[in-house]
Amino acid sequence: MLNVSELTVDIQGSRILRGISLEVRAGELVCLLGRNGAGKTTTFRSLMGYLRPVSGRISWEDKDLARLSTWQIAQLGIGFSPEESEVYADLTVEENIELPTWTRTCGRPAAERISEAYRIFPKLERYRKRGGAELSGGERKMVSIARALALDAELLLLDEPFEGLSPAIIPLVAEGVAAIRQSGKAIVMAESNLHHVPDYIDKLVVIERGEIIYTGSLSGALGDVEVMKIIAGAVDAEPQT
Amino acid sequence: MQYANLFLAGLFQAAILFLVACGLQLIFGVQKVVNLACGSFYALGAFFAITAVGLLHQWQMPMIFLVPALVLSGVLVGTVGAPLELLLRPVYRRDPSYQLLLTFGLLLMFQDVFRFFWGAAPRSMDSSLYGIYGTIDISGLQIPVYNFLVIGASILIAMILGLSLKRTRIGRIVRATAENRNMTEALGVNSSKVFTMVFTLGCILGTVGGALVIPTSAASMTMAAELVVEAFAVVVIGGLGSMAGAAVGAIIVGLMRAFAVSLAPEVEILSIYLVVVVVLLIRPVGLFGRSAS
Repeated sequence: MLNVSELTVDIQGSRILRGISLEVRAGELVCLLGRNGAGKTTTFRSLMGYLRPVSGRISWEDKDLARLSTWQIAQLGIGFSPEESEVYADLTVEENIELPTWTRTCGRPAAERISEAYRIFPKLERYRKRGGAELSGGERKMVSIARALALDAELLLLDEPFEGLSPAIIPLVAEGVAAIRQSGKAIVMAESNLHHVPDYIDKLVVIERGEIIYTGSLSGALGDVEVMKIIAGAVDAEPQT
Repeated sequence: MQYANLFLAGLFQAAILFLVACGLQLIFGVQKVVNLACGSFYALGAFFAITAVGLLHQWQMPMIFLVPALVLSGVLVGTVGAPLELLLRPVYRRDPSYQLLLTFGLLLMFQDVFRFFWGAAPRSMDSSLYGIYGTIDISGLQIPVYNFLVIGASILIAMILGLSLKRTRIGRIVRATAENRNMTEALGVNSSKVFTMVFTLGCILGTVGGALVIPTSAASMTMAAELVVEAFAVVVIGGLGSMAGAAVGAIIVGLMRAFAVSLAPEVEILSIYLVVVVVLLIRPVGLFGRSAS
């Protein structure tokens, strides 16, 4: 489905991604885990066509994404929920969620896609007429994911879906992610906190300083001392005396 | 009675100014480009309208169709905005100074375009056409119906534009693109097409404004630069990017100008800029502008 091969990306002359490779199959939930600045957002921004790679290949069902514009990538069926949610303040919740059904008209009927978004995040049903600027951080996050879902995407890129959320909201978003996964859509979720990684993920990919240092199961990572040093935040810790 | 007459003349000026400022606001709001060439589109609309009315005469069409013909000629020539938008594409993500230089270059280039097609001398249409729709007697004052038609057309355009942006799908996509172009692209919107559409619409508002003013004044080489000064005064007073601001700013500038021309012509421009300075001192973002924070 999605195949990233030896992807190298520079930002303003600095090498951010150093030949990363990643594979996502249909219906898979892949978690890209790494500390802040490891290259998770850069990976997503490269997949969405915001950044052009220096070298490497990004292919989606045999199409080369690296040559396409962001809107063309979205039209192929890749939905994106950015870290900052980026919900339109000037539009209502309803308008935010409906917008991708106007722009990507192929696939399932709009009504079906919209009702699916509200079924997965039922809390949003009450806020349909509320403006994007009047939402809390957690509500914005839900709208952002619901909006990417309404694109009728086959693959969703969720950048830090739990970042900055209150403990009361995290389970609601987590339930939404689980429901999306159950619907058969592939998800790549970036996460910086090991405790937020769902135990039902299919694959864990650990990124550190722009390089993939681990690809495998969550349990495998938990048993790998070198990987745990990084993802458990112990790598920079001073030895206790 | 004299003041009532000046008031109506000011509203007429405001209606024209509003159309041009509206185009300026629309282009800035969505594309973040301060379009110095807006005055050129106004002048282009005026020159082209003279040619269009000439054709109307030639084809022996009844002059009752003057206003529809002027609006249509403005809309037609305003579509020149679509190819011109391509010129702006390389500078969208660059420093605003590049955009200012490019649109100022367009302003200068249009001067030669006008000279090439219409000559350097001012051009005007048959002055009797201004009164073609007759006059309305308001307490002894004879006000040309044409003025009311232009004010009405301007209000109608403002309402259609406002409702389209608020209620239609394309309007919502335009608002979303104005707020966050990158996110809109991630939702499958070809923002280049949105930009072309918005720029063309902005040009059409300017050219229609220029076409509608032509029964009351001549089209000249200097009208583009003069209008840029007034349109920017409107935008600064109303607030950059605000349609409501464009309306209020246009009314303030239109009325100030009408009263100053009659009561103190030596301070006509100064009076407008006094208001601009006061607004900048009290509320730098303009009356309806939103601060960046």
